[in-house]
Amino acid sequence: MKIVVLVKQVPDSGADRNLRSDDNTVDRASASNVINEMDEYAIEEALRLQEAHGGEVVILTVGPDRATESIRKALSMGPDSAVHVVDDALHGSCAVATSKVLAAAIAQQGADLVICGAESTDGRVQVLPHMIAERLGIAALTGARKLTVDGTSLTIERQTDEGYEVVTASTPALVSVWDTINDPRYPSFKGIMAAKKKPLQTLSLGDLGIAAGEVGFDGATSTVVEHSKRPPRQAGNKIDAGDDGGSKLVEYLASEKFV
Amino acid sequence: MDFDYTSEQQDLRDAVAKLGKRYGHEYFVRKAKAGEHSDELWDEAARLGYLGVSVPEEFGGGGGGITELAIVCEELAAAGAPLLLLVVSPAIAATIVSRHGTAAQRARWLPGFADGTRKVCFAITEPDAGSNFHKLSTVARRDGDDYVITGRKVYISGVDECSQVVVVARMADERTGKLKPALFMVPTDAPGLTLSKLDMEIVSPENQFLLFFDEVRVPAADLIGEDPEAGLPALFSGLNPERITVAAMACGTARYALERASTYTATRSVWGRPIGSHQGVAHPMAHAHIQVELARLMVAKAAALYDAGRDLEAGVNANMAKYASAEASALAVDTAIQAHGGNGMTTEYGVATLLGATRAGRIAPVSREMILNFVAQHLMGQEKSY
Repeated sequence: MKIVVLVKQVPDSGADRNLRSDDNTVDRASASNVINEMDEYAIEEALRLQEAHGGEVVILTVGPDRATESIRKALSMGPDSAVHVVDDALHGSCAVATSKVLAAAIAQQGADLVICGAESTDGRVQVLPHMIAERLGIAALTGARKLTVDGTSLTIERQTDEGYEVVTASTPALVSVWDTINDPRYPSFKGIMAAKKKPLQTLSLGDLGIAAGEVGFDGATSTVVEHSKRPPRQAGNKIDAGDDGGSKLVEYLASEKFV
Repeated sequence: MDFDYTSEQQDLRDAVAKLGKRYGHEYFVRKAKAGEHSDELWDEAARLGYLGVSVPEEFGGGGGGITELAIVCEELAAAGAPLLLLVVSPAIAATIVSRHGTAAQRARWLPGFADGTRKVCFAITEPDAGSNFHKLSTVARRDGDDYVITGRKVYISGVDECSQVVVVARMADERTGKLKPALFMVPTDAPGLTLSKLDMEIVSPENQFLLFFDEVRVPAADLIGEDPEAGLPALFSGLNPERITVAAMACGTARYALERASTYTATRSVWGRPIGSHQGVAHPMAHAHIQVELARLMVAKAAALYDAGRDLEAGVNANMAKYASAEASALAVDTAIQAHGGNGMTTEYGVATLLGATRAGRIAPVSREMILNFVAQHLMGQEKSY
């Protein structure tokens, strides 16, 4: 089985993150950039499938030059090779355009299974898995907290607010995962030393048969016109431990649907 | 001059930091207070190859150098979960075996250092000799196919969790009768070897021991290098990695303490603003930060010189790195406690727990005074003072 894992480089969600003032895109230059957290779970799941069933694991990233740092880190966890789509014309791409690029690269790879994080910590739109599956005409098993593979048959537990749903499909398919699915491994020292020696293919838009005008700001179906910082957090409600303190607390918790 | 680590070294640093943070200082303190060892952290770091980074690849190690091992030491300490035995087992014992063991000894012992399954401590210090290794009274004599060791050692770390101990003894030269150092790999459960745990005022999952060797028999094949001439160079080869890694660990602990302190002072508000906005609080922390960064530079330099095979220069720099980092970490922890006010002395805030270890760092493995003697005498041309 050939598994392609989508890996995105994002600004570290634990640090200060900003949008650029000139074009409203994510400020990557001044940020500390890391692998999107959910993608580490996708990598781990792919490696576990490979360990159990054999096959090949390929990392696929769309991003600027410096995304190679994240690709190298992804490879240090154990995947066999990576594909990096990098093209200046991609700057400003919307989710629809990004899905076109990713789908074209996946099609070129001929993947049996695509695994990705259910969302990225920068965009958080959660639509790419569905868009990519739609473009490729393959099943989308999204929001998995568990994945089992039996030959060409895939079964996931799809995590929902109430519990989970069992969903099945056959390969080729796409599975997006939440952080409940596994515990990602740390790269071993040997993995770190081997990462740079692994094949890394760099592709341009031209290599994928996509015109510059189809992506980036020109091809964007949506544009961020304005942004502002989240307002500072307001002071919370203070409930004093008086006679009715207990019932007030319960009222508050109930109003917030905590109880 | 290039101040950047390689991408592999940086990735190693990130990976070890991540692992260390999952354990953290609470784990370290919990283990220490329960009288337990950091086995889970050791085993996991070992499986990931972090403990064998400096062991040659042909024996299953990472093929890196002391630079890589120092990174591992520093980052675990920076997460609040240092592994003291890294300074002893991979840094001292594995280096001695790797550089001065016979081919058979390397094949026998190094794979265990590479995967971290072999933990070996190091015994040089004696009650009546202190830093004067010419006064070591532990002696070995040849008896048939064995050597027989008798003597005492003190402040030996982690003997209860190690399978073997590298013992520095002295042996009479067959020709001249002069006593020369000889290093032996001795099982910690060898007949005639008794352990006595020392009560220390250090919060640490690793224990300190007094060792008694009463006619302990060691096969001749376990004399490191299998040649009485190998002793002195073998001993010296272990000391530079020891100093560099202990210095790296101290820098990590210092970073941990200052991170706790700066997080606290940036949010703790008493007079309507964060206390860190007051220079009386902020300047000591900034000063300590600078001292720590200076020490880290010296550690990096000493490690780079060592890995380049420039042993003499590495020795000078390892001593200075050890001095600087011990002073910086003692300062950092003291400053961090002060910045926390009363909270600084609680177990919960996790800084006073570092006091004993960082204070000990100014004494062991070589005291600050002996380093100052060394610098005064060898770098500044002063007459020997002792």
